[in-house]
Amino acid sequence: MSLFKLTASTVAIAAVSATAAIARDNVQVAGSSTVLPYASIVAEAFGENFDFPTPVVESGGSSAGLKRFCEGVGENTIDVANASRKIKETEIAACADAGVTDIIEVRIGYDGIVFASDIDGNGFEFTPIQWYKALSDKVVVDGALVDNPYTKWNEVDAALPDQEIAAFIPGTKHGTREVFEDQVILAGCEASGDFDVFKAANGDDTKAAEKACISIRTDGVSTDIDGDYTETLARIESNKDGIGVFGLAFYENNTDKLQVATMSGVVPSTESIATGDYPVSRPLYFYVKRAHVGVIPGLQDYASFFVADEIAGPDGPLAAYGLVSDPELAATQLIVEELKPMSEGM
Amino acid sequence: MPVLWIVLAVFGLGLIGYFVGRLRALGSAGGDARTLHSLPSYYGWHAFMLTVAPALLVLAAWSLLAPNLIDRSVSETIPEATIADASNASLVLAEVRRAAGALDAAVAQGLVDQETSRNLHTESTDVTALLKETGSVITSAVTQPILQAAQEFRALTKRSNLYRTITTFALALIGFGFAIKRTHKDFRARNVVENGIMVILVLASSIAILTTVGIVLSMLFETSHFFGLYSWREFFLGTKWSPDFRGDSQLGILPLLWGTLYISLVALLVAVPIGLFAAIYLSEYAGPRLRAVAKPMIEILAGIPTIVYGLFALITIGPMIRDWIAQPLGLGNSSNSVMTAGLVMGVMLIPFVSSLSDDIINAVPQAMRDGSFGLGATHSETIKQVVLPAALPGIVGAILLAASRAIGETMIVVMGAGAAAAQMDQGLGEIINPFQAMTTVTVKIVSQLTGDTDFASPETLVAFALGLSLFVITLGLNVLALYIVRKYREQYE
Amino acid sequence: MTDATSNGPTARAKKEHGSLLVQDALTKRRNASERRFRAYGLTAIGIGVAALILLLTSILSQGLPAFQQTFVTLDVVLDEAKLDKKGNRNIDEIKKVTTFGYAPLIKNGLKSRMEELNISIDGLSDKDAGGIISKEAAGQLRRYVIANPDEIGNSVEFRFLANGRIDGYYKGRVTMQSAERDNNVSPQQLQLADALKDGGALVTRFNWDFITKADASENRPEAAGIGVAIIGSLYMMMIVLVLALPIGVAASIYLEEFAPQNWFTDLIEVNISNLAAVPSIVYGILGLAIFINYGGLPQSAPIVGGLVLTLMTLPTIIIATRASLKSVPPSIRAAALGVGASRMQSVFHHVLPLAMPGILTGTIIGLAQALGETAPLMLIGMVAFVRDFPSAPPEGFFDPASALPVQVYNWTTRADPAFVERASGAIIVLLMFLLCMNMIAIILRRRFERRW
Repeated sequence: MSLFKLTASTVAIAAVSATAAIARDNVQVAGSSTVLPYASIVAEAFGENFDFPTPVVESGGSSAGLKRFCEGVGENTIDVANASRKIKETEIAACADAGVTDIIEVRIGYDGIVFASDIDGNGFEFTPIQWYKALSDKVVVDGALVDNPYTKWNEVDAALPDQEIAAFIPGTKHGTREVFEDQVILAGCEASGDFDVFKAANGDDTKAAEKACISIRTDGVSTDIDGDYTETLARIESNKDGIGVFGLAFYENNTDKLQVATMSGVVPSTESIATGDYPVSRPLYFYVKRAHVGVIPGLQDYASFFVADEIAGPDGPLAAYGLVSDPELAATQLIVEELKPMSEGM
Repeated sequence: MPVLWIVLAVFGLGLIGYFVGRLRALGSAGGDARTLHSLPSYYGWHAFMLTVAPALLVLAAWSLLAPNLIDRSVSETIPEATIADASNASLVLAEVRRAAGALDAAVAQGLVDQETSRNLHTESTDVTALLKETGSVITSAVTQPILQAAQEFRALTKRSNLYRTITTFALALIGFGFAIKRTHKDFRARNVVENGIMVILVLASSIAILTTVGIVLSMLFETSHFFGLYSWREFFLGTKWSPDFRGDSQLGILPLLWGTLYISLVALLVAVPIGLFAAIYLSEYAGPRLRAVAKPMIEILAGIPTIVYGLFALITIGPMIRDWIAQPLGLGNSSNSVMTAGLVMGVMLIPFVSSLSDDIINAVPQAMRDGSFGLGATHSETIKQVVLPAALPGIVGAILLAASRAIGETMIVVMGAGAAAAQMDQGLGEIINPFQAMTTVTVKIVSQLTGDTDFASPETLVAFALGLSLFVITLGLNVLALYIVRKYREQYE
Repeated sequence: MTDATSNGPTARAKKEHGSLLVQDALTKRRNASERRFRAYGLTAIGIGVAALILLLTSILSQGLPAFQQTFVTLDVVLDEAKLDKKGNRNIDEIKKVTTFGYAPLIKNGLKSRMEELNISIDGLSDKDAGGIISKEAAGQLRRYVIANPDEIGNSVEFRFLANGRIDGYYKGRVTMQSAERDNNVSPQQLQLADALKDGGALVTRFNWDFITKADASENRPEAAGIGVAIIGSLYMMMIVLVLALPIGVAASIYLEEFAPQNWFTDLIEVNISNLAAVPSIVYGILGLAIFINYGGLPQSAPIVGGLVLTLMTLPTIIIATRASLKSVPPSIRAAALGVGASRMQSVFHHVLPLAMPGILTGTIIGLAQALGETAPLMLIGMVAFVRDFPSAPPEGFFDPASALPVQVYNWTTRADPAFVERASGAIIVLLMFLLCMNMIAIILRRRFERRW
């Protein structure tokens, strides 16, 4: 019977202390796992240099982060949502329904997306056309749409090495997949001139043609990765012919295992992406609830610290880790300083 | 009075009640326990129960409700303008609570005395500076409405705590008195105590129902939202799973369900024979030394984080199966396969089958074995013909548990079988080929929930619909299992 | 046996011919099947143990280096001109100097140590030389100065962490060849590290900080520890054990011993076995909706994690407990009732103790599952980067914390390969936890286990 006594007392204590109404004193951040490394670098430095507690940075994806951001206003909701994409109109509407208005949008920089293969294997110089031809479900051969026949890179383009095509691309949950489809496959589809054939086959419907262009083949040549870049790396290590899609930061940390491929002749680097020469990249954001500024201790300091020159600038620790710093950082700093919500800030 | 002290004091009173009740019962029987209706300790427990239970229940209810009421009455005292400035009442309240906490801290540290703290005014004193001095976190300057609300908050909280203490003790004392008064040698204390315990037992079992209700409720809203955006017919009957950022996704559940069933089946085909044989050997043949070592060792398999299994599948088993089996047989050249995930998951599930079955086989009465041996059966014949049938209901339970775990697993599937759904439109051969990549419902629930898609779009909301569908399907299977187990359940002795 | 049995007189007659010492065909077959059966059992155990050894070996070989760490000892001059320009030792003024301001002091310290040891390496810039010290060092220095403002102006000896790649060099993860291709470390830096080691300024030693310190960001894998995660997991296990075990046992007793056969019991029964099959992330959805949004409990807190894991573990414990209650022979109950015990007494005094080994097994498996689970914690905010330690319970249950499996998961997703070793190190600690729980269970099981 002592079991029951124990339970009863614990339940009582738990229930009682649950309502002790402890005011939260740390900044709570959630969202994209792409932004997580940068956010945790900033949070760590913030905790070291300010008297505020170190912010808690959660991962879990842009979608989950923004969803919790839009859950409402108050202490048991998060203050900052990290996102590897812009917040959508539908999401802003959902936010407003829950009373979350005055969202401050902060763009922290860009994430470069690179193609890399095993360091001891062949080197690659890609163009979007080659990727489109290698991975699209249907390609144009002699003017007719056929199921993708290519199994080796040199069949796609004689300039490429004689190597099995084995691509590890981000799964449909990742925002990177959208960038990959839009900026590589679709761009290749259009550049190769095959787009018109797709358009004709889909009855002049541009949207359907785009969709047909970017539908990836499912015969095992390309593998969707729903996990992280570490999984892609492990897959390349177990299949030396593999070519994976990585974030620039991940590649920078693993240059002893991976060699990067050029895209349209440009080597990806923080510089070439910042100037726009390297074509495949996406912006990274975080969103701040204005209603929480001044209530949650350190929130504004955290936001300002994040975009300060010594952190997010080209020589800061974020750039050293692989963030492509935003050329318009000064404008962003102004937005944070004035707490300009999106509608006015845009 | 802090809650912990109240709880301890009530327990102390209960303890006194225990001894008093016991003594009084014995006294009424003239010290002869044989003439009591129940054992003496039951009279003690009866007094303990009546003293502690109502008091603590009221304490818990009070502590849960009072803060809400206080918050409400405090927020009524805050001027509209202040709330409008901060745009949200709950944030103002948070600020008020923080200020009140800082005031308490200031009093505790002796910076101000109780009296002054009640009459502070922002115009006469620099309250913000004072409160910051206590080391509390004050975000902005404390304004007069906030300070006033904070003082109101402190006063109300104090009063509420006082009443709470009084009520709790009063109840405890009333319970105590009532119990002692009732205690008499003819009083059926055991029945009362046992009824009390029964209530606890029923409540504990109802938690399962509450959890189910909670799960259904927390997913129902979003699921209905999903079916508002996406046709249920395509969801339940669609044979293609391909979410798309641009919308127009095909979100058929069938390929995912098939993957779930197939991978779980392979995993169980590995885990059940191995687990069962291990259990039989451990409980029937192994000496105590081997048993003491092997059983906990196998149990550790259940505790290794699944990511370790996942990496093992990805790096070792996957390529091995591809190079040695799939490619030579011409069944595909993907290192992700149902086989890989199933094999590795099977290893993880071994302890679920073996440990539980071992305990259950162990509990089969020795007399049954002796009877079988006496008729001349060998050990293995005894096990097959006598012990296993007797242990069957428990073993089925263990297997169901393993199956449940297989359905819920994500990491091993992602790394072993991949993230691409079964290609149902490419014919039966592709579907039943165990060397094809496939994925499960659970994997897709996790990935759609933790992805980067728009959270109000069908691509994310489908996770809730998947979760609820899986929930309903497993519910159906469990009803079936219950029916079967009940039909074949036998009791031996 | 009578003549009417299937064996018939001939078969019987045949048997009578044989000597007891000579096995006939049937006996041989039966004995062979007996041996086969035993062999199957032994093989099964062998497979289980082999799988365990295989997995453990890979974890241990990868994770043990995490408990060693490379340190560099330097004398740092706490330059007054840099740290306290006004010289009035005002702590607020000193706090204004950020960690970026402290970095040059460390570089100077390294330079003087290099001069002291007569180290000069061709093609090594000052910036690269400073790169062999962890980025954590500046924070360490700043904390020291703020705690001891009087030391400003003095030269103080510090032991700094070496950069993760340098550390990897002494653990075999980084080699001279890989350093040439690696953007984050150069062979010259490795030469410098070797020279410092020869001079005694660089040592590799046991690293308590790995167990006691908090997580660190991706820039400094060498500083990352599992302290917060251990505490978070410990808190959650306390909550799970205290809630799930009694509730689970109580529910099982009711369902197995007292519940009448009616629709309500069936409903509970089906619900429980169904809850066991619910994917764990769904419990996260539940936790977010019920405990955080509705109940108003804080995010990232062990209390919410503990409650969610309790709900998740309950079905496992209940199913295991019921199975073992079921296997207690009815004669035990009948005997207890026969001597006048009430049903409640027969259950609590006789059935429950006999079912204890099974209950413990179920609890261990359930706790092991709860201890290793990440997915449900994802949605309630515990899959997070948490630097500050939670306070002591009960307040600590409401402070943000991480958990061991979360730390493992987080580290396996990080880019720097040094985190792989730390993830495996965290798994070793996780397994230690598990081993301790198993030990307790074994001891208890020994006391209770019996056969009748």
